[in-house]
Amino acid sequence: MTDARSEALPQKPRAWSKGTVLAHLFTVGFIAAWWGYSQIIPAYQLPGPWLVAERIVSFLSDSDELAQLALSLAHVSIAIAAAFVFGCLLAALAHYVPPLRLLIDGRLTPFLNAFSAIGWLFLAMLWFGLDSFTVIFAVTLILIPFTIINVRTGLQELDGELIELGRSLSRSPFRTATKIVIPLLVPYLFAALRNSFGVSWKVVLTAELFGGSGGVGFLLNIARQQFDTETIFAIITFILIFVVFAEFVLFRPIQRQLDRSFGRA
Amino acid sequence: MRETSSRSMIVQHFVAEGTIVLVLVAWWVASRNLPAYVLPGPVAVAQSMARFVTDSEVAFNALVSFARVAASVVIAMTLALGVAAAVRAAPILNATVERRILIFLNSFPSVGWAILGVVWFKISTPTVLFIQTAIILPFCIINALAGFRQIDPDLNELGLSLTRSPLRRFFKVTLPLVAPFLMAGIRVAYGICWKIALVSELFGASSGLGYLLMRAQSTSDAAMVFACCLVIVVIYTLTDYLLLKPLAARFSINQGQET
Repeated sequence: MTDARSEALPQKPRAWSKGTVLAHLFTVGFIAAWWGYSQIIPAYQLPGPWLVAERIVSFLSDSDELAQLALSLAHVSIAIAAAFVFGCLLAALAHYVPPLRLLIDGRLTPFLNAFSAIGWLFLAMLWFGLDSFTVIFAVTLILIPFTIINVRTGLQELDGELIELGRSLSRSPFRTATKIVIPLLVPYLFAALRNSFGVSWKVVLTAELFGGSGGVGFLLNIARQQFDTETIFAIITFILIFVVFAEFVLFRPIQRQLDRSFGRA
Repeated sequence: MRETSSRSMIVQHFVAEGTIVLVLVAWWVASRNLPAYVLPGPVAVAQSMARFVTDSEVAFNALVSFARVAASVVIAMTLALGVAAAVRAAPILNATVERRILIFLNSFPSVGWAILGVVWFKISTPTVLFIQTAIILPFCIINALAGFRQIDPDLNELGLSLTRSPLRRFFKVTLPLVAPFLMAGIRVAYGICWKIALVSELFGASSGLGYLLMRAQSTSDAAMVFACCLVIVVIYTLTDYLLLKPLAARFSINQGQET
Protein backbone atom coordinates (compact mmCIF):
# COMPACT_ATOMS: atom_id res chain seq x y z
CA MET A 1 0.00 0.00 0.00
CA THR A 2 2.32 2.64 -1.21
CA ASP A 3 -0.16 5.01 -2.71
CA ALA A 4 -1.55 8.00 -0.92
CA ARG A 5 -4.90 6.35 -0.45
CA SER A 6 -3.65 4.20 2.37
CA GLU A 7 -4.40 7.05 4.71
CA ALA A 8 -8.07 6.51 3.95
CA LEU A 9 -7.97 3.11 5.65
CA PRO A 10 -9.58 3.48 9.03
CA GLN A 11 -9.08 -0.17 10.06
CA LYS A 12 -5.43 -0.07 11.02
CA PRO A 13 -5.41 2.12 14.13
CA ARG A 14 -8.51 0.39 15.51
CA ALA A 15 -6.99 -3.06 15.14
CA TRP A 16 -7.70 -3.99 18.76
CA SER A 17 -11.13 -2.54 19.26
CA LYS A 18 -13.50 -4.12 21.74
CA GLY A 19 -15.14 -6.13 19.00
CA THR A 20 -11.82 -7.64 17.98
CA VAL A 21 -11.01 -8.50 21.56
CA LEU A 22 -14.36 -10.22 21.81
CA ALA A 23 -13.66 -12.11 18.59
CA HIS A 24 -10.34 -13.35 19.94
CA LEU A 25 -11.98 -14.29 23.22
CA PHE A 26 -14.54 -16.20 21.20
CA THR A 27 -11.80 -18.17 19.46
CA VAL A 28 -10.14 -19.00 22.76
CA GLY A 29 -13.47 -19.89 24.33
CA PHE A 30 -14.34 -22.10 21.39
CA ILE A 31 -11.11 -24.06 21.61
CA ALA A 32 -11.45 -24.31 25.40
CA ALA A 33 -14.99 -25.62 25.04
CA TRP A 34 -13.80 -28.12 22.44
CA TRP A 35 -11.03 -29.25 24.80
CA GLY A 36 -13.37 -29.45 27.77
CA TYR A 37 -15.99 -31.39 25.90
CA SER A 38 -13.41 -33.78 24.45
CA GLN A 39 -12.42 -34.70 28.00
CA ILE A 40 -15.82 -36.21 28.71
CA ILE A 41 -16.53 -37.64 25.26
CA PRO A 42 -14.74 -40.68 23.82
CA ALA A 43 -12.01 -39.75 21.37
CA TYR A 44 -13.60 -41.56 18.46
CA GLN A 45 -16.50 -39.09 18.68
CA LEU A 46 -14.58 -35.92 19.45
CA PRO A 47 -10.79 -35.93 19.61
CA GLY A 48 -9.31 -33.01 21.54
CA PRO A 49 -7.57 -30.04 19.87
CA TRP A 50 -4.17 -31.36 20.89
CA LEU A 51 -4.65 -34.76 19.25
CA VAL A 52 -5.94 -33.07 16.10
CA ALA A 53 -2.98 -30.67 16.02
CA GLU A 54 -0.60 -33.60 16.35
CA ARG A 55 -2.36 -35.37 13.52
CA ILE A 56 -2.12 -32.28 11.31
CA VAL A 57 1.63 -32.13 11.92
CA SER A 58 2.06 -35.80 11.12
CA PHE A 59 -0.15 -35.27 8.08
CA LEU A 60 2.09 -32.48 6.83
CA SER A 61 5.28 -34.45 7.39
CA ASP A 62 4.04 -37.50 5.52
CA SER A 63 5.00 -37.13 1.87
CA ASP A 64 2.32 -39.60 0.78
CA GLU A 65 -0.46 -37.62 2.39
CA LEU A 66 1.00 -34.35 1.17
CA ALA A 67 0.84 -35.76 -2.35
CA GLN A 68 -2.90 -36.39 -1.86
CA LEU A 69 -3.29 -32.81 -0.73
CA ALA A 70 -1.48 -31.59 -3.83
CA LEU A 71 -3.79 -33.76 -5.91
CA SER A 72 -6.86 -32.15 -4.33
CA LEU A 73 -5.39 -28.74 -4.97
CA ALA A 74 -4.84 -29.70 -8.60
CA HIS A 75 -8.45 -30.90 -8.89
CA VAL A 76 -9.73 -27.62 -7.50
CA SER A 77 -7.46 -25.42 -9.63
CA ILE A 78 -8.25 -27.20 -12.87
CA ALA A 79 -11.99 -27.18 -12.15
CA ILE A 80 -11.99 -23.47 -11.29
CA ALA A 81 -10.00 -22.60 -14.41
CA ALA A 82 -12.21 -24.74 -16.65
CA ALA A 83 -15.42 -23.37 -15.14
CA PHE A 84 -14.11 -19.82 -15.47
CA VAL A 85 -13.30 -20.26 -19.15
CA PHE A 86 -16.60 -21.96 -20.01
CA GLY A 87 -18.63 -19.63 -17.82
CA CYS A 88 -17.13 -16.48 -19.31
CA LEU A 89 -17.53 -17.87 -22.80
CA LEU A 90 -21.20 -18.69 -22.28
CA ALA A 91 -21.94 -15.36 -20.60
CA ALA A 92 -20.21 -13.46 -23.40
CA LEU A 93 -22.11 -15.47 -26.02
CA ALA A 94 -25.40 -14.68 -24.31
CA HIS A 95 -24.52 -11.00 -24.23
CA TYR A 96 -23.10 -10.51 -27.69
CA VAL A 97 -24.98 -13.08 -29.77
CA PRO A 98 -28.66 -12.23 -29.24
CA PRO A 99 -30.08 -15.35 -30.95
CA LEU A 100 -28.34 -17.49 -28.32
CA ARG A 101 -29.57 -15.37 -25.42
CA LEU A 102 -32.69 -17.33 -24.55
CA LEU A 103 -30.88 -20.63 -24.98
CA ILE A 104 -28.17 -19.65 -22.49
CA ASP A 105 -30.07 -17.40 -20.10
CA GLY A 106 -33.41 -19.11 -20.23
CA ARG A 107 -32.55 -22.76 -20.73
CA LEU A 108 -28.94 -23.73 -20.11
CA THR A 109 -28.13 -21.64 -17.03
CA PRO A 110 -31.31 -22.50 -15.11
CA PHE A 111 -30.75 -26.15 -15.99
CA LEU A 112 -27.13 -26.16 -14.82
CA ASN A 113 -28.11 -24.10 -11.82
CA ALA A 114 -30.78 -26.57 -10.80
CA PHE A 115 -28.63 -29.64 -11.37
CA SER A 116 -27.45 -31.26 -8.20
CA ALA A 117 -23.75 -31.60 -7.45
CA ILE A 118 -24.35 -35.16 -6.41
CA GLY A 119 -26.16 -35.76 -9.67
CA TRP A 120 -23.13 -34.70 -11.72
CA LEU A 121 -20.92 -36.75 -9.49
CA PHE A 122 -22.92 -39.94 -9.90
CA LEU A 123 -23.26 -39.42 -13.65
CA ALA A 124 -19.53 -38.84 -13.94
CA MET A 125 -18.93 -42.03 -11.98
CA LEU A 126 -21.08 -43.93 -14.46
CA TRP A 127 -19.32 -42.41 -17.43
CA PHE A 128 -15.69 -42.14 -16.42
CA GLY A 129 -15.25 -44.51 -13.49
CA LEU A 130 -13.41 -43.56 -10.34
CA ASP A 131 -10.60 -41.19 -11.21
CA SER A 132 -9.45 -37.60 -11.25
CA PHE A 133 -11.39 -36.77 -14.39
CA THR A 134 -14.64 -37.66 -12.65
CA VAL A 135 -13.80 -35.31 -9.80
CA ILE A 136 -12.80 -32.45 -12.08
CA PHE A 137 -15.83 -32.96 -14.32
CA ALA A 138 -18.26 -32.90 -11.42
CA VAL A 139 -16.73 -29.86 -9.74
CA THR A 140 -16.46 -27.94 -13.02
CA LEU A 141 -20.10 -28.47 -13.88
CA ILE A 142 -21.16 -27.28 -10.45
CA LEU A 143 -19.07 -24.12 -10.76
CA ILE A 144 -20.12 -23.16 -14.30
CA PRO A 145 -23.56 -21.71 -13.41
CA PHE A 146 -22.04 -19.60 -10.61
CA THR A 147 -19.53 -18.16 -13.08
CA ILE A 148 -22.14 -17.55 -15.79
CA ILE A 149 -24.44 -15.75 -13.36
CA ASN A 150 -21.67 -13.53 -11.99
CA VAL A 151 -20.24 -12.57 -15.36
CA ARG A 152 -23.69 -12.15 -16.86
CA THR A 153 -24.66 -9.76 -14.08
CA GLY A 154 -21.50 -7.82 -14.71
CA LEU A 155 -22.23 -7.58 -18.42
CA GLN A 156 -25.79 -6.45 -17.77
CA GLU A 157 -24.76 -3.79 -15.29
CA LEU A 158 -22.15 -2.36 -17.62
CA ASP A 159 -22.67 1.34 -17.75
CA GLY A 160 -24.27 2.02 -21.10
CA GLU A 161 -22.95 5.55 -21.21
CA LEU A 162 -19.40 4.43 -20.64
CA ILE A 163 -19.71 1.92 -23.46
CA GLU A 164 -21.05 4.67 -25.69
CA LEU A 165 -18.20 6.89 -24.66
CA GLY A 166 -15.85 4.07 -25.60
CA ARG A 167 -17.52 3.71 -28.96
CA SER A 168 -17.16 7.40 -29.62
CA LEU A 169 -13.48 7.24 -28.72
CA SER A 170 -12.54 4.19 -30.70
CA ARG A 171 -14.13 2.18 -33.47
CA SER A 172 -12.20 -0.97 -32.72
CA PRO A 173 -14.31 -3.42 -30.73
CA PHE A 174 -11.13 -5.03 -29.48
CA ARG A 175 -9.99 -1.75 -27.98
CA THR A 176 -13.33 -1.05 -26.33
CA ALA A 177 -13.25 -4.58 -24.95
CA THR A 178 -9.79 -4.41 -23.44
CA LYS A 179 -9.93 -0.76 -22.36
CA ILE A 180 -13.50 -0.50 -21.07
CA VAL A 181 -15.52 -3.71 -20.89
CA ILE A 182 -12.95 -5.99 -19.26
CA PRO A 183 -11.74 -3.43 -16.70
CA LEU A 184 -15.36 -2.73 -15.75
CA LEU A 185 -15.97 -6.46 -15.44
CA VAL A 186 -13.00 -7.10 -13.18
CA PRO A 187 -14.99 -6.94 -9.91
CA TYR A 188 -17.50 -9.44 -11.30
CA LEU A 189 -14.82 -11.74 -12.66
CA PHE A 190 -13.12 -11.62 -9.32
CA ALA A 191 -16.39 -12.33 -7.52
CA ALA A 192 -16.87 -15.32 -9.81
CA LEU A 193 -13.43 -16.67 -8.95
CA ARG A 194 -13.86 -16.04 -5.25
CA ASN A 195 -17.24 -17.71 -5.29
CA SER A 196 -15.86 -20.65 -7.25
CA PHE A 197 -13.03 -21.10 -4.81
CA GLY A 198 -15.41 -21.29 -1.87
CA VAL A 199 -17.86 -23.64 -3.53
CA SER A 200 -15.17 -25.86 -5.03
CA TRP A 201 -13.66 -26.68 -1.64
CA LYS A 202 -17.09 -27.48 -0.33
CA VAL A 203 -17.71 -29.91 -3.15
CA VAL A 204 -14.36 -31.36 -4.09
CA LEU A 205 -14.08 -33.50 -0.96
CA THR A 206 -17.48 -35.02 -1.66
CA ALA A 207 -16.47 -35.72 -5.22
CA GLU A 208 -13.19 -37.32 -4.17
CA LEU A 209 -14.86 -39.28 -1.41
CA PHE A 210 -17.30 -40.98 -3.77
CA GLY A 211 -15.79 -40.73 -7.19
CA GLY A 212 -12.08 -40.27 -6.72
CA SER A 213 -9.09 -42.54 -6.55
CA GLY A 214 -6.99 -39.97 -4.73
CA GLY A 215 -7.02 -36.66 -2.96
CA VAL A 216 -7.95 -35.55 0.50
CA GLY A 217 -11.54 -36.70 0.09
CA PHE A 218 -10.26 -40.18 -0.63
CA LEU A 219 -8.23 -40.11 2.61
CA LEU A 220 -11.38 -38.89 4.36
CA ASN A 221 -13.24 -41.93 3.11
CA ILE A 222 -10.58 -44.33 4.40
CA ALA A 223 -10.56 -42.56 7.76
CA ARG A 224 -14.34 -42.74 7.88
CA GLN A 225 -14.36 -46.47 7.27
CA GLN A 226 -11.75 -47.02 9.98
CA PHE A 227 -13.54 -44.70 12.44
CA ASP A 228 -10.33 -42.69 12.51
CA THR A 229 -11.97 -39.51 13.80
CA GLU A 230 -8.62 -37.87 14.49
CA THR A 231 -7.76 -37.95 10.81
CA ILE A 232 -11.24 -36.73 9.87
CA PHE A 233 -10.86 -33.78 12.23
CA ALA A 234 -7.33 -33.13 11.09
CA ILE A 235 -8.38 -33.00 7.44
CA ILE A 236 -11.38 -30.78 8.13
CA THR A 237 -9.33 -28.44 10.32
CA PHE A 238 -6.59 -28.30 7.75
CA ILE A 239 -9.03 -27.44 4.96
CA LEU A 240 -10.60 -24.79 7.18
CA ILE A 241 -7.23 -23.20 7.89
CA PHE A 242 -6.25 -23.40 4.25
CA VAL A 243 -9.45 -21.77 2.97
CA VAL A 244 -9.35 -19.05 5.63
CA PHE A 245 -5.70 -18.42 4.84
CA ALA A 246 -6.45 -18.08 1.13
CA GLU A 247 -9.32 -15.76 1.97
CA PHE A 248 -7.18 -13.45 4.09
CA VAL A 249 -3.95 -13.56 2.16
CA LEU A 250 -5.33 -13.64 -1.35
CA PHE A 251 -8.98 -12.65 -1.73
CA ARG A 252 -9.47 -9.97 0.94
CA PRO A 253 -6.53 -7.77 -0.10
CA ILE A 254 -7.55 -8.00 -3.76
CA GLN A 255 -11.16 -7.23 -2.86
CA ARG A 256 -10.06 -4.20 -0.85
CA GLN A 257 -7.98 -3.03 -3.77
CA LEU A 258 -10.94 -3.48 -6.11
CA ASP A 259 -13.32 -1.70 -3.74
CA ARG A 260 -10.93 1.20 -3.59
CA SER A 261 -10.46 1.51 -7.33
CA PHE A 262 -14.09 0.85 -8.26
CA GLY A 263 -16.00 2.23 -5.30
CA ARG A 264 -14.96 5.83 -5.79
CA ALA A 265 -16.56 6.35 -9.16
CA MET B 1 -30.74 -3.95 -22.31
CA ARG B 2 -31.76 -3.15 -25.80
CA GLU B 3 -35.41 -3.63 -26.58
CA THR B 4 -36.20 -7.07 -27.89
CA SER B 5 -38.37 -6.98 -30.93
CA SER B 6 -40.80 -9.81 -31.45
CA ARG B 7 -38.80 -11.06 -34.39
CA SER B 8 -35.62 -11.48 -32.44
CA MET B 9 -37.65 -13.23 -29.74
CA ILE B 10 -38.88 -15.72 -32.33
CA VAL B 11 -35.31 -16.36 -33.44
CA GLN B 12 -34.23 -16.83 -29.83
CA HIS B 13 -37.04 -19.29 -29.17
CA PHE B 14 -36.20 -21.14 -32.36
CA VAL B 15 -32.56 -21.48 -31.33
CA ALA B 16 -33.34 -22.37 -27.72
CA GLU B 17 -36.04 -24.94 -28.37
CA GLY B 18 -34.25 -26.25 -31.45
CA THR B 19 -31.13 -26.94 -29.43
CA ILE B 20 -33.12 -28.82 -26.82
CA VAL B 21 -34.67 -31.01 -29.50
CA LEU B 22 -31.25 -31.57 -31.06
CA VAL B 23 -29.79 -32.57 -27.71
CA LEU B 24 -32.64 -35.01 -27.11
CA VAL B 25 -32.17 -36.54 -30.56
CA ALA B 26 -28.41 -36.78 -30.08
CA TRP B 27 -29.00 -38.40 -26.69
CA TRP B 28 -31.39 -40.91 -28.24
CA VAL B 29 -28.97 -41.77 -31.05
CA ALA B 30 -25.98 -42.05 -28.71
CA SER B 31 -27.89 -44.21 -26.25
CA ARG B 32 -28.59 -46.76 -28.97
CA ASN B 33 -24.90 -47.40 -29.44
CA LEU B 34 -23.96 -47.41 -25.77
CA PRO B 35 -24.80 -49.92 -23.05
CA ALA B 36 -27.75 -48.92 -20.86
CA TYR B 37 -25.62 -48.73 -17.72
CA VAL B 38 -23.56 -45.95 -19.30
CA LEU B 39 -26.16 -43.96 -21.16
CA PRO B 40 -29.80 -45.00 -20.86
CA GLY B 41 -32.05 -43.66 -23.61
CA PRO B 42 -34.48 -40.78 -23.07
CA VAL B 43 -37.40 -43.21 -23.06
CA ALA B 44 -35.94 -45.38 -20.30
CA VAL B 45 -35.17 -42.29 -18.25
CA ALA B 46 -38.66 -40.94 -18.80
CA GLN B 47 -40.05 -44.26 -17.61
CA SER B 48 -37.93 -44.04 -14.48
CA MET B 49 -39.10 -40.48 -13.94
CA ALA B 50 -42.67 -41.63 -14.27
CA ARG B 51 -42.06 -43.87 -11.28
CA PHE B 52 -41.87 -40.70 -9.19
CA VAL B 53 -45.57 -40.33 -9.88
CA THR B 54 -46.73 -43.93 -10.09
CA ASP B 55 -44.54 -45.72 -7.57
CA SER B 56 -45.47 -44.61 -4.08
CA GLU B 57 -42.18 -45.70 -2.52
CA VAL B 58 -40.14 -43.62 -4.98
CA ALA B 59 -42.50 -40.67 -4.69
CA PHE B 60 -42.24 -40.86 -0.92
CA ASN B 61 -38.46 -40.52 -1.12
CA ALA B 62 -38.76 -37.38 -3.22
CA LEU B 63 -41.29 -35.90 -0.82
CA VAL B 64 -39.07 -36.68 2.16
CA SER B 65 -36.16 -34.87 0.52
CA PHE B 66 -38.33 -31.88 -0.25
CA ALA B 67 -39.65 -31.69 3.30
CA ARG B 68 -36.13 -31.92 4.71
CA VAL B 69 -34.83 -29.18 2.42
CA ALA B 70 -37.73 -26.90 3.29
CA ALA B 71 -37.30 -27.53 7.01
CA SER B 72 -33.55 -26.91 6.85
CA VAL B 73 -34.03 -23.62 5.02
CA VAL B 74 -36.54 -22.46 7.63
CA ILE B 75 -34.30 -23.49 10.53
CA ALA B 76 -31.19 -21.93 9.01
CA MET B 77 -32.94 -18.66 8.13
CA THR B 78 -34.45 -18.38 11.62
CA LEU B 79 -31.03 -18.91 13.18
CA ALA B 80 -29.47 -16.40 10.79
CA LEU B 81 -32.16 -13.86 11.59
CA GLY B 82 -31.44 -14.31 15.29
CA VAL B 83 -27.71 -13.87 14.75
CA ALA B 84 -28.19 -10.77 12.60
CA ALA B 85 -30.64 -9.24 15.06
CA ALA B 86 -28.18 -9.90 17.88
CA VAL B 87 -25.42 -8.17 15.92
CA ARG B 88 -27.70 -5.21 15.33
CA ALA B 89 -28.63 -4.99 18.98
CA ALA B 90 -25.02 -5.34 20.11
CA PRO B 91 -22.65 -4.13 17.37
CA ILE B 92 -19.71 -5.32 19.44
CA LEU B 93 -20.58 -8.84 18.28
CA ASN B 94 -19.99 -7.88 14.67
CA ALA B 95 -16.35 -8.93 14.55
CA THR B 96 -17.10 -12.24 16.25
CA VAL B 97 -19.90 -13.09 13.87
CA GLU B 98 -18.26 -11.90 10.70
CA ARG B 99 -14.66 -12.83 11.32
CA ARG B 100 -15.11 -15.98 13.32
CA ILE B 101 -18.47 -17.71 13.02
CA LEU B 102 -19.14 -16.80 9.40
CA ILE B 103 -15.67 -17.66 8.21
CA PHE B 104 -15.72 -20.90 10.14
CA LEU B 105 -19.06 -21.98 8.70
CA ASN B 106 -18.21 -20.77 5.24
CA SER B 107 -14.92 -22.64 5.05
CA PHE B 108 -16.18 -25.87 6.55
CA PRO B 109 -16.26 -28.58 3.85
CA SER B 110 -19.81 -29.85 3.43
CA VAL B 111 -18.80 -33.48 3.45
CA GLY B 112 -17.15 -32.81 6.81
CA TRP B 113 -20.53 -31.94 8.32
CA ALA B 114 -21.98 -35.03 6.71
CA ILE B 115 -19.36 -37.35 8.20
CA LEU B 116 -19.37 -35.69 11.60
CA GLY B 117 -23.16 -35.64 11.69
CA VAL B 118 -23.21 -39.39 11.27
CA VAL B 119 -20.39 -39.91 13.79
CA TRP B 120 -22.14 -37.76 16.39
CA PHE B 121 -25.76 -38.64 15.82
CA LYS B 122 -27.28 -41.72 14.39
CA ILE B 123 -28.58 -42.13 10.87
CA SER B 124 -31.87 -40.26 11.11
CA THR B 125 -33.83 -37.30 9.81
CA PRO B 126 -32.57 -34.92 12.54
CA THR B 127 -29.02 -35.78 11.44
CA VAL B 128 -29.90 -34.82 7.88
CA LEU B 129 -31.46 -31.57 9.09
CA PHE B 130 -28.35 -30.82 11.15
CA ILE B 131 -26.05 -31.39 8.19
CA GLN B 132 -28.16 -29.38 5.75
CA THR B 133 -28.64 -26.51 8.19
CA ALA B 134 -24.92 -26.37 8.92
CA ILE B 135 -24.13 -26.22 5.20
CA ILE B 136 -26.59 -23.47 4.26
CA LEU B 137 -26.32 -21.41 7.45
CA PRO B 138 -23.44 -19.18 6.25
CA PHE B 139 -25.40 -18.18 3.14
CA CYS B 140 -28.37 -17.24 5.30
CA ILE B 141 -26.23 -15.27 7.75
CA ILE B 142 -24.53 -13.30 4.96
CA ASN B 143 -27.88 -12.19 3.57
CA ALA B 144 -29.46 -11.50 6.93
CA LEU B 145 -26.49 -9.35 7.96
CA ALA B 146 -26.60 -7.48 4.68
CA GLY B 147 -30.32 -6.90 5.12
CA PHE B 148 -29.96 -5.45 8.61
CA ARG B 149 -27.07 -3.30 7.50
CA GLN B 150 -29.08 -1.72 4.71
CA ILE B 151 -31.84 -0.54 7.01
CA ASP B 152 -32.25 3.17 6.63
CA PRO B 153 -31.50 4.72 10.05
CA ASP B 154 -34.16 7.36 9.39
CA LEU B 155 -36.84 4.74 8.95
CA ASN B 156 -35.69 3.05 12.09
CA GLU B 157 -35.99 6.34 13.95
CA LEU B 158 -39.42 6.82 12.51
CA GLY B 159 -40.34 3.42 13.90
CA LEU B 160 -38.96 4.44 17.29
CA SER B 161 -41.10 7.55 17.32
CA LEU B 162 -44.21 5.59 16.38
CA THR B 163 -44.10 2.78 18.87
CA ARG B 164 -42.21 1.78 21.97
CA SER B 165 -42.77 -1.93 21.55
CA PRO B 166 -39.62 -3.56 20.14
CA LEU B 167 -41.66 -6.53 18.95
CA ARG B 168 -44.00 -4.31 16.97
CA ARG B 169 -41.07 -2.41 15.54
CA PHE B 170 -39.46 -5.68 14.51
CA PHE B 171 -42.51 -6.94 12.67
CA LYS B 172 -43.70 -3.62 11.23
CA VAL B 173 -40.44 -1.91 10.36
CA THR B 174 -37.43 -4.19 10.52
CA LEU B 175 -38.82 -7.34 8.97
CA PRO B 176 -40.36 -5.64 5.90
CA LEU B 177 -37.11 -3.75 5.38
CA VAL B 178 -34.92 -6.86 5.50
CA ALA B 179 -37.45 -9.02 3.65
CA PRO B 180 -35.83 -8.56 0.20
CA PHE B 181 -32.51 -9.75 1.59
CA LEU B 182 -34.13 -12.61 3.44
CA MET B 183 -35.88 -13.72 0.28
CA ALA B 184 -32.62 -13.54 -1.65
CA GLY B 185 -30.98 -15.55 1.10
CA ILE B 186 -33.75 -18.12 1.10
CA ARG B 187 -33.44 -18.56 -2.64
CA VAL B 188 -29.69 -19.07 -2.46
CA ALA B 189 -29.95 -21.38 0.54
CA TYR B 190 -32.72 -23.38 -1.07
CA GLY B 191 -30.61 -23.87 -4.18
CA ILE B 192 -27.49 -24.83 -2.22
CA CYS B 193 -29.55 -27.22 -0.18
CA TRP B 194 -30.72 -29.14 -3.24
CA LYS B 195 -27.40 -28.96 -4.99
CA ILE B 196 -24.82 -29.53 -2.29
CA ALA B 197 -26.50 -30.33 0.98
CA LEU B 198 -28.18 -33.39 -0.50
CA VAL B 199 -24.90 -35.10 0.31
CA SER B 200 -26.36 -35.45 3.79
CA GLU B 201 -28.73 -38.09 2.48
CA LEU B 202 -25.88 -40.13 1.06
CA PHE B 203 -24.55 -40.66 4.57
CA GLY B 204 -27.16 -39.85 7.10
CA ALA B 205 -30.41 -41.23 5.79
CA SER B 206 -32.19 -44.36 4.73
CA SER B 207 -34.72 -42.41 2.68
CA GLY B 208 -34.80 -39.44 0.34
CA LEU B 209 -33.45 -38.69 -3.12
CA GLY B 210 -29.83 -38.99 -2.01
CA TYR B 211 -30.54 -42.45 -0.71
CA LEU B 212 -32.34 -43.31 -3.94
CA LEU B 213 -29.36 -42.10 -5.97
CA MET B 214 -27.01 -44.17 -3.86
CA ARG B 215 -29.15 -47.26 -4.30
CA ALA B 216 -29.47 -46.76 -8.05
CA GLN B 217 -25.71 -46.31 -8.32
CA SER B 218 -24.95 -49.53 -6.44
CA THR B 219 -27.35 -51.52 -8.61
CA SER B 220 -26.03 -49.86 -11.81
CA ASP B 221 -29.53 -48.56 -12.54
CA ALA B 222 -28.31 -45.70 -14.71
CA ALA B 223 -31.82 -44.77 -15.81
CA MET B 224 -32.75 -44.17 -12.19
CA VAL B 225 -29.60 -42.07 -11.59
CA PHE B 226 -30.59 -39.90 -14.56
CA ALA B 227 -34.18 -39.76 -13.39
CA CYS B 228 -33.17 -38.64 -9.88
CA CYS B 229 -30.98 -35.87 -11.32
CA LEU B 230 -33.76 -34.65 -13.58
CA VAL B 231 -36.38 -34.87 -10.86
CA ILE B 232 -34.21 -32.64 -8.69
CA VAL B 233 -33.98 -30.17 -11.58
CA VAL B 234 -37.77 -30.28 -12.01
CA ILE B 235 -38.55 -29.86 -8.31
CA TYR B 236 -36.06 -27.04 -7.87
CA THR B 237 -37.14 -25.21 -11.02
CA LEU B 238 -40.86 -25.52 -10.29
CA THR B 239 -40.60 -24.37 -6.69
CA ASP B 240 -38.25 -21.55 -7.60
CA TYR B 241 -40.45 -20.24 -10.39
CA LEU B 242 -43.80 -20.79 -8.75
CA LEU B 243 -42.96 -19.88 -5.19
CA LEU B 244 -39.63 -18.23 -4.45
CA LYS B 245 -39.29 -15.96 -7.47
CA PRO B 246 -42.79 -14.44 -7.10
CA LEU B 247 -42.17 -14.00 -3.39
CA ALA B 248 -38.82 -12.33 -4.02
CA ALA B 249 -40.40 -10.04 -6.61
CA ARG B 250 -43.26 -9.20 -4.25
CA PHE B 251 -41.00 -8.25 -1.40
CA SER B 252 -38.57 -6.27 -3.47
CA ILE B 253 -41.35 -3.83 -4.40
CA ASN B 254 -41.28 -2.45 -0.89
CA GLN B 255 -37.74 -1.30 -1.25
CA GLY B 256 -34.93 -0.73 -3.67
CA GLN B 257 -37.10 0.44 -6.55
CA GLU B 258 -35.80 3.64 -7.98
CA THR B 259 -38.45 6.28 -8.28
